[in-house]
Amino acid sequence: MIKNYFKIAFRNLWKNKGYSAINIFGLAIGLATCLLITLYVTNELSYDQYNKNAKNIYRINSDLKFNGPDLHMTQTSDMMGQTLKKDYPQVAEFTRIYANEGDKLIKKGSDFITEKRAAFVDSTFFTVFTLPAIEGDTRTALNQPNTVVITESTAKKYFPQDAVSVLGKNIDVKNGETTTPFKITAVIKDIPDNSHFKFDFLFSMKNVDYRWGDFTSHNFNTYLLLKPGTDYKAFEKNFPTYIDKYVLPFAQQFIKIASMEEFRKSGNKLEYSLMPITKIHLYSDYAFELTPSGNIQYVYIFSAVALFILILACINFMNLSTARSAKRAKEVGIRKVLGTERKTLIAQFLVESTVTAAISLLIAILIAFFILPLFNDVAAKSLSIRDLLGAKILPFLILLPFIVGLLAGSYPALYLSAFKPIKVLKGNTNAGFRKSNLRNVLVIFQFATSIMLIIGTIVVFSQLRYIQTKKLGFNKDQVLIIDGTRALNKNIQAFKNEVLAMPGVSSGTISSYLPVDNSSHSNNTFSKEAVMTTASSINMQTWRVDYDYITTMGMEMAAGRNFSKDFGGDSSAILITETTAKLLGFDEPVGKMLYAPFDNTGYKELAPLQIIGVIKDFHFESLKQKLGPLCMRLGTRGDIASFKVTAADTKGLVSQIENKWKTLAPGMPFSYRFLDESFDDMYRSEQRAGTIAIVFAILAVFIACLGLFGLVTYMAEQRTKEIGIRKVLGASVGNVVTLLSKDFLLLVMVAAVIAFPVAWWAMNKWIRDFEYRINISVWIFVMAGLAALLIALITVSFQAIKAAIANPVKSLRTE
Amino acid sequence: MIELKGIYKWVNTGSNRTFILKDINLSIKEGEFISIMGPSGSGKSTVLNIIGMLDEFNEREYHFLHESVHQLKEKQRAALYKQYIGFVFQAYHLIDELTVYENIETPLIYQDIKTAERKAMVADMLDRFNIVGKKDLFPAQLSGGQQQLVGIARALISNPKLILADEPTGNLNSKQGEEIMNLFSELNKEGVTIIQVTHSEKNAAYGSRIVHLLDGRIEH
Repeated sequence: MIKNYFKIAFRNLWKNKGYSAINIFGLAIGLATCLLITLYVTNELSYDQYNKNAKNIYRINSDLKFNGPDLHMTQTSDMMGQTLKKDYPQVAEFTRIYANEGDKLIKKGSDFITEKRAAFVDSTFFTVFTLPAIEGDTRTALNQPNTVVITESTAKKYFPQDAVSVLGKNIDVKNGETTTPFKITAVIKDIPDNSHFKFDFLFSMKNVDYRWGDFTSHNFNTYLLLKPGTDYKAFEKNFPTYIDKYVLPFAQQFIKIASMEEFRKSGNKLEYSLMPITKIHLYSDYAFELTPSGNIQYVYIFSAVALFILILACINFMNLSTARSAKRAKEVGIRKVLGTERKTLIAQFLVESTVTAAISLLIAILIAFFILPLFNDVAAKSLSIRDLLGAKILPFLILLPFIVGLLAGSYPALYLSAFKPIKVLKGNTNAGFRKSNLRNVLVIFQFATSIMLIIGTIVVFSQLRYIQTKKLGFNKDQVLIIDGTRALNKNIQAFKNEVLAMPGVSSGTISSYLPVDNSSHSNNTFSKEAVMTTASSINMQTWRVDYDYITTMGMEMAAGRNFSKDFGGDSSAILITETTAKLLGFDEPVGKMLYAPFDNTGYKELAPLQIIGVIKDFHFESLKQKLGPLCMRLGTRGDIASFKVTAADTKGLVSQIENKWKTLAPGMPFSYRFLDESFDDMYRSEQRAGTIAIVFAILAVFIACLGLFGLVTYMAEQRTKEIGIRKVLGASVGNVVTLLSKDFLLLVMVAAVIAFPVAWWAMNKWIRDFEYRINISVWIFVMAGLAALLIALITVSFQAIKAAIANPVKSLRTE
Repeated sequence: MIELKGIYKWVNTGSNRTFILKDINLSIKEGEFISIMGPSGSGKSTVLNIIGMLDEFNEREYHFLHESVHQLKEKQRAALYKQYIGFVFQAYHLIDELTVYENIETPLIYQDIKTAERKAMVADMLDRFNIVGKKDLFPAQLSGGQQQLVGIARALISNPKLILADEPTGNLNSKQGEEIMNLFSELNKEGVTIIQVTHSEKNAAYGSRIVHLLDGRIEH
């Protein structure tokens, strides 16, 4: 019996090749999308799950506001972890990461290599996180200063010839003029890709040069390992006590502050919270994450869209099956007359749909296999098709054809098996096609989805275009950036001057700070008065720049003057932005004073600074953020040299600069980039979302059109008689095409009406992420609607014209 | 009015050529009522379709009202039959989804006649055939005779000079058939040229002339 089902199923598929091809191909595309998204989502959801203690590890997040912008940080003070461990038995262990020092220059042979994946960690790091050692004992590895734990691939990179052991060997780190050797005390397996931190070098925390014991400076990513069964929400309630007991007394040493209540009343904030480690990747919108975060919203959206696309393909199956029911009706009639039971027929049809789904799945896996590299590229992932065989996905994969077969096949099976044999055998089979409201609803659903995706795509790209063309207050074009200039040491000024002398370089500056999101940040507290109080102080970005920074970046002064060598004392001068002036409440800021702690004394003494100029506002962070306060102070050291370039031959210029670099900093790595590229990097995730949205939109439209094509084909077939009559009565080709197309186009229009408000709502939500954004105009909707209509029209008219030019005589014969 | 000169029609199946019509010469004057008779497969319907310009032929000439049909383009031919010819079918070929009224109205829509004018014309026709009360019914709600009546009304609506009827009574009982044939006679008396294909001697007798076909040839 089962064998018979399969035989008939295969024969039917083979007999209706065109129809089967539409179904299989459509389903395969839907399934391939599903597979890829499943891989992606599983990967996104798996972040940090590799830790055995994943359920009990929490990171401390800080929410601060001190008369400046709201700060949401992944970092807290150096004291918080150890204090909590001391005071609360629920804390089994704590560990800290200090990654503020950034890149490290590490010696290999006679050259130095810039290593970005480096951090200082506590010796407890390996107790909290599960990072298995290949050699050495990680529990004690970082107890001593000048020790380092490296990953397997780093060991291979630096000691390729040592197949045996690298324990006890040294990693030499250059810092200024000196080179410090760190002893390798353990080698761990590479940190998995799905970890929210990815380091190759873990140096001992004991080597960090820091003003230890400061409860108010937040510079450490701190993790708590809570004892199993601890309710972390309940534990968070201890934080106000901690603040009152430790942070407040510490702050009172240098700020006049009576109580936390007073602090809060003046609109300020100091709050801590715990974030489960497994939520960091997808849910964190805190600043200074160790790796770029994912976004749970995108996970939801992608999953939903993938599911939708699969449903679209299933709808094609349903629609085509019922639409061509006329053809199957006779078979059903004969089978019923021969005594076949309805449930047998249902089984037959379900086997057919499941076989179709299974074939589609095989093709889908092939498609996914070939598309995966492209997908990895777009999604910035390194997924492998082999992950499909993982324990989490494989059962789902095996069940998939049955689910899809049932989903797509049940309605047609019930519908077809319900035919009354007498009716169908009399030849009254026209009933099959017409008057199917469900089919109309399904077509509307398909096109509504497509139109929403088209709108989404247009909105995302309009916003990206807006970002590209918005006046930013600085000029991001033609600015060449040389990283790691600290390696030049004393030669730094010489380097700057030599490059400036090259033709095609109009100005240059040395400063670690760039007006893009992913560069250095430094928040400091300033006071309007010589004594710091909660009311007088403001927290803002403080950038150290040299005399040529404003010119090189193309910024403009709104009032006052830039730093200048003509005024010897600019070391106690300060520039602020227009926004800062407004926040400070200064109408005439030039000449007014601000007070800030001296560089090395902490907050105990304040130095007076005079405002000498106001810079026109410029966007130094992502356009997602509202402009915050910022000031600039004079400084001639920095890790980045930026040059405004006018030369057409930038390649030639870069190699010229590189040669200069080699003579001034022999053995030091040379790396360059352009400011506009770094600017674009800020919106990488939006670019990615845009690209994926385009792909989804194309797929959805394609599948919907595939279905529409099939429907029109069958409709034309069903209505040949009517078309014939109408032609004999004088209908032109145009009349017939209109006749066949207008119903479908009407459906597309209804779909547009449904899609518009949903898309409007969704895209407004998305775009609200941006503080600076486009207005979603009516035109976007009109364009998307027209595009869908046009695509549908082309699809439909192809078949409609074919039907319209057919000779009516054939269809009107009366035999 | 109609001049068929040496009409041949054939189909090629592999290397064989099967003739459907051989050397048909037929001349029909305005106001005639012709009955074409012959056994199944003798080519009656094909001749009718060729006269109606729905079907093509392979050889020689066809003149219709001084137009040389064999030299016309598809579009011109369509314009010609739209204007002068009405068709009646054995299976009525009404459009199931349209009411009686709408079925009759359809040819007028394709001739770009204005709504008000269409209304008047259809109303006239409904009146003339005594089916005003049925104008909002669908074909499935009518008897065969009534459906054919609607079919004829539809054929007449655009005032054709020629009516081509392919076994118009084939699906009707004798009483209904008789009514239809009487209607044809009346129309003929009003000046409409009629060509019908029929199997029945009795019906053929209504015509002014009978043409016999056998194996694609006219028998004399």
